[in-house]
Amino acid sequence: MARAIATSAFQALKGTYKGVVKISVLLVLTYLIAQGLNSFLPAADYRSALGLPNRVAVWAVAELHLMFAAFVLGVPIFALITEIIGVATREKRYDDLAREFTKLLAMAYTLTAVLGCVLLVLFIVLYPKFTGILSKIFKPTWIAYIVLIFGEVIVAYLYWYTWSLLQGVRKKWHLLLGLLVNLWGTALLFVADAWVTFMMSPAGIDDANNLVSLWGVIHNHTWMPINIHRLLANVAFGGAIVAAYAAVRFLNAKTDEERARFDWMGYVGSFIAIAAFIPLPFAGYWLGREIYQFSEQMGVSMMGGSFAWLWILQAMLIGSLFLASNFYLWLGMGRIPGAERYTKFQIGMMIVLTIGFIVWATPRSIIATGTEMSAMGGSHHPFLGLFGVMAAKNTAVNLMILTTFFSFMLYRRGNRIPIVPWAVAGKALQALAIAAAAAVVLGYGVYSYFVPSITRIGFSVYQVSAVLTSMALFVAIDIPLLKGAREIGAIRWGHIPARAQYALFFLAVSFTWLMGLMGYIRSGIRQHWHVYGRVMDESANAYTMAHGQATIIVSCIVVVFFLLVSVVFWLAARGGEPAESPAGEASAAKAAGSAA
Amino acid sequence: MKVTIAKIFLFMLAVVSLYAYVGQLVPQFEEHPPKKKVITPQTTGDDLVAAGQEILRGKGGCLICHKDQERGNERGPDLRRAAGKAATRKPGIAAEAYLIESMVEPYAFIVEGYPKMMPPAMKPPASLSMAEVKAVVAYLQSLGGAEVTVSVQAGDVAAGKKAVGPVHRGRQLMDANGCLGCHKLAGEGGAVGPELTRVAERREPAKIAQKIADPKLWTAEGFQAGLMPPRPDLPEGDRQEIAAYLAGLSGKAYSPTGAASPWSHEGVRLGVVIAVFNTVMLLVLAWARSREKSPLSPGPSPIEGEGRNAAGDAT
Repeated sequence: MARAIATSAFQALKGTYKGVVKISVLLVLTYLIAQGLNSFLPAADYRSALGLPNRVAVWAVAELHLMFAAFVLGVPIFALITEIIGVATREKRYDDLAREFTKLLAMAYTLTAVLGCVLLVLFIVLYPKFTGILSKIFKPTWIAYIVLIFGEVIVAYLYWYTWSLLQGVRKKWHLLLGLLVNLWGTALLFVADAWVTFMMSPAGIDDANNLVSLWGVIHNHTWMPINIHRLLANVAFGGAIVAAYAAVRFLNAKTDEERARFDWMGYVGSFIAIAAFIPLPFAGYWLGREIYQFSEQMGVSMMGGSFAWLWILQAMLIGSLFLASNFYLWLGMGRIPGAERYTKFQIGMMIVLTIGFIVWATPRSIIATGTEMSAMGGSHHPFLGLFGVMAAKNTAVNLMILTTFFSFMLYRRGNRIPIVPWAVAGKALQALAIAAAAAVVLGYGVYSYFVPSITRIGFSVYQVSAVLTSMALFVAIDIPLLKGAREIGAIRWGHIPARAQYALFFLAVSFTWLMGLMGYIRSGIRQHWHVYGRVMDESANAYTMAHGQATIIVSCIVVVFFLLVSVVFWLAARGGEPAESPAGEASAAKAAGSAA
Repeated sequence: MKVTIAKIFLFMLAVVSLYAYVGQLVPQFEEHPPKKKVITPQTTGDDLVAAGQEILRGKGGCLICHKDQERGNERGPDLRRAAGKAATRKPGIAAEAYLIESMVEPYAFIVEGYPKMMPPAMKPPASLSMAEVKAVVAYLQSLGGAEVTVSVQAGDVAAGKKAVGPVHRGRQLMDANGCLGCHKLAGEGGAVGPELTRVAERREPAKIAQKIADPKLWTAEGFQAGLMPPRPDLPEGDRQEIAAYLAGLSGKAYSPTGAASPWSHEGVRLGVVIAVFNTVMLLVLAWARSREKSPLSPGPSPIEGEGRNAAGDAT
């Protein structure tokens, strides 16, 4: 038995070493190519490559790198959550699901690293002066970043290769490895975010750009809000990609067993995606507030300048995400015996979501001809203009979040009837919590119109707090309420219409497109600055392009991303089914069994 | 299966095309960086007003919150009336002085009914010079139909501390590395080597950076060869910064590209990190291998080979 364990451990370490070698080769090649090109090409502040606009080239590669980075950071979080659920529920299918997605990591890491290396070469070659300035300021962090990359690769490969070895009583060590993968990944994210956010909201340097405080540089206004926003978004993104994968497999499934498995997988993916998606707008508010704190001018450019129109597009995307999530949940209720008793709520929820969507997507200024504007008395419509302001939009989004949460809770209890003696009181308290939150949101929404803007901004905190409190209270009551609940019937996994799978796929595409759009807005509000207010972009590419052109580029990036992700899934599928195991499954399983 | 995949792909194309289409429906315009405007004491009258208008609408970013015509933003006061009201805003301060103060120190006086949100004009992101501030004042005075009284002085033209990247460290590095022991720079230093104040007029900055590492590249006329110690130990970036500083003294713009040889400090540091991780992994592997072959372990597992194959596949 000891020999079997030693063999498995050796195989796991061998596989991990291959990952280390791969990263080492990539880093050395990148360094040599970048410095070689830089020495070979004539000294210049800016260069161009193959006649492509520098900004578009860097944007496309950076966005693809970011999407894959989100994928490789989101999937381990997803895997760890499902693995923990598997341990808690003692259901092996959760463990299999976590393993199936962890298997994708090796290939996805390689693609992420290759894209990161291409990005670095582009920066050094196309923007040598700017890269020189940034690398000087951040000198101590880049070496830490490389150490973190190696650490992440080692723990992630070990996490995958020791899956069979660390089963049974050793499972806790595997969970610890999963936790380490995520901690390491989060540290990587935080370091990279310091570079990105410094460009938006520089701090820690003097008037001549001398480094005054490295911590000041890192801990700038937007660093922590972006960290939290990206962390949540990565979980939502990871869940959405898992759900999209399950949807594709469901639509191609040939047997009922396969359909049941992928239906369940899609549900788990969408559950995690929606759960992480719900608090995302709050993290977005925090980021927006910090941007205003840093520079009113930047904030106004973002919300009231030319970029304001892209928020209408963002509203359309998020509205679509809310509608698609609810649509999927309602279709999913069709396979839950007993859930039909909640169908009556769907019309009301649909109305709230649709009105919320319309309000959120209403622009403050209407595009109109001179005659139409004269008739309206300005660029703001006398009635619709009321819905174009943040007071209305905050109210709409909070109500949409509350509705989606309610929808999700109904789905959760679809086939269960609480039997605790206090069930009626508990349900009444839950209804009261939801109604009170809705009243607070609506009340402050209407009151907002009658107070100055500075007071109005503070109201959004009360609205958000009311929604979060009611959700927390609802869940706190729900857990004991459904403990030992009577089950009306088992969920009929696989009995869901194909359009529900398209809804899942739509969620993933929309999430990805939204990431592309928000990345563009976040970066674009720097306008003609590399580092806002400090280092100006003096190249011919320094202009901010028209929105139509930007959205076409975002669409192209999303299509390329999905094609690359398909390749990752395809290559992973060629490696065999997950049950065939990583390192020495049989020997390790035997060893684990003996140890247990 | 192929039909389903094609359907999914078409569905994805339809979704992204829909979003891109909505992007075409919103107003379309490009935003370009503000043009650089040279203002001197000789810039007066209409030229100063025109320059002020351009700064106000471009580099200054004033129209993000203010308006200077009928349509525009109203987060800040209407600029068409700014010059007219300036004389009465703060007792004891003249109109022109008030207008300058309202831009340079906007929080010294807040107009009633407006929030405290204006960034000082001479700080980032606008970073205007005093000459540019005065040009804006000239434009504001012209907007109100008043006489343009403001004028630019020689001292107003100098920009404030400009963000010049890494170049500013050049002098510091020369002091720290003892260059001035032998070379004269702006009237300071020794006479063993040639005067360096205008060296970049004679030599390319990139060559100067190379010369620091390898003094044998050339010897200035009238000076003895072999006296200057080679400094290949100085990081490439530091040598580039010295070259950039010297280029600046000759009025040349030179941006060190940060190009470094594989043996520069950065390259060596990267190599060390890679070597450490690879060595540690190899040592751990060797230890694991020895454990696997240890005679203390029972005989070989019948399924050992199966494990190896599985690992290979997964990799």
